[in-house]
Amino acid sequence: MNNITTIKKHVMTGVSFMIPLVVGSGLCMAIGVILGGPNIKEAEGAFLNFVYNVGSRGLGIVVPVICAAIAYSIADKPGIAPALIVGYIAGDIKAGFLGGIAGGFFVGYFVNWLKKVLRNVPAALKGLVPILLIPLTATFVCTIVMRYVIGVPIAGFMDILTTFLTNMQGGSKFLFGVILGGFTGTDFGGPINKTASLVANGFMVDGICEPEAVKLLGCMIPPMGIIAAYLFGKKKFTMAEREAVKACLPMGICMITECVIPLAMNDLWRVVLSSVVGCGIAGGISMVMGIQAYVPHGGWFIIPTMNKPLAYVMCMAIGALIMGALLAALKKPLPEGGEGVEPDMGIDESSFGKISSSLEDIDIMNL
Amino acid sequence: MKIVGITACPTGIAHTYITREKLMEAARGRGHECKVETQGSIGTENELTAKDIREADVVILAVDVKISGEERFKGKPLVKVPTETVMQNASGLVEVVERKLKSAGKI
Repeated sequence: MNNITTIKKHVMTGVSFMIPLVVGSGLCMAIGVILGGPNIKEAEGAFLNFVYNVGSRGLGIVVPVICAAIAYSIADKPGIAPALIVGYIAGDIKAGFLGGIAGGFFVGYFVNWLKKVLRNVPAALKGLVPILLIPLTATFVCTIVMRYVIGVPIAGFMDILTTFLTNMQGGSKFLFGVILGGFTGTDFGGPINKTASLVANGFMVDGICEPEAVKLLGCMIPPMGIIAAYLFGKKKFTMAEREAVKACLPMGICMITECVIPLAMNDLWRVVLSSVVGCGIAGGISMVMGIQAYVPHGGWFIIPTMNKPLAYVMCMAIGALIMGALLAALKKPLPEGGEGVEPDMGIDESSFGKISSSLEDIDIMNL
Repeated sequence: MKIVGITACPTGIAHTYITREKLMEAARGRGHECKVETQGSIGTENELTAKDIREADVVILAVDVKISGEERFKGKPLVKVPTETVMQNASGLVEVVERKLKSAGKI
């Protein structure tokens, strides 16, 4: 794998460790607020206050966990312990999510370097390497680097970014929502969607929750948009496509946007274009209305936990209707009596023939 | 020949399993035996046994994230690709792997 793929793999490992943590703790926090009212934070001793605290403790360790997971991906087990601490320091100095990611990379590569350097220690000291030398050196060096070197500019940058986003007004808010929503709605759970999600999740961890709602729109609108398009223009869908549309309802409700892929594969640019437009507009409206989301995954079931659930549902409906109308209008009518001659839903080999050239670069190890 | 593999995507709820289906379909379509382990957010399923690995001619890892147990494949012919490659053209991948193994005289 090349460099960029490797780096992406490390970040994605971090994200895959982070998601269950954020979902679990975000939901606990939301349950506390919904059932206990907005002042639950101060209601010490109450059961719902405990539930709320469970959630806020969980969110408090998101940065250490993503930091540790990245270091684990790079340096394996010895990366975890120092990176947890470095992640904590990143949180302390307000370098937040971004600081956690940078810290994870630093710890990972530093530990790998230590492993290499310490490979030739005398046999008597071998046992000390994993149990003493690596943990101590890595923790000591990496936390200092985080606190005094890489953390400083990142904290400054985060500060500027936070001020910018909180002070954003009408037009620029809308534009931000359009861009983020559009990117999230581009590839239905693919790499672009994951990158946009990472941005939104990062903001959420650092306490800015509007982008998260935009991201959720971009993930939840496409399946509903497909269904809307089907309702608007049934006749333009082949039998095989209709089967795929049916799958979109249950999967869409659960926020598994991937259900759109079979339809997009059949009709790539029309589906993607209408999705980007629908998600973009809905995202813009959502930003302007100030909808905040506190849970990064979970589909329709987490809508009640948002600050303005009704407004969110409205945005989702608007996005889905726009996408549906656009797709129904763009989609080409089926050829006369062509029901049976359509290709099946599997990936059409011939259209991907070009990609196989990159397959030639595939490297078989140990051959 | 016999192929074993692992699939894993970042969220671990959809692509991991779609990739598994596509890879097995492609391998069987080209007349190979195939067993694929998934490492989704639920954890490891369809775990490869030591016997599976010993008997395999090649290991295909379609992974976007770090997986556990990679050391099991030490010394085995091994291909690592992102899940995307399998999603886009699984049988092309199997074909290339086949050809490369053949030219190296491994099958």
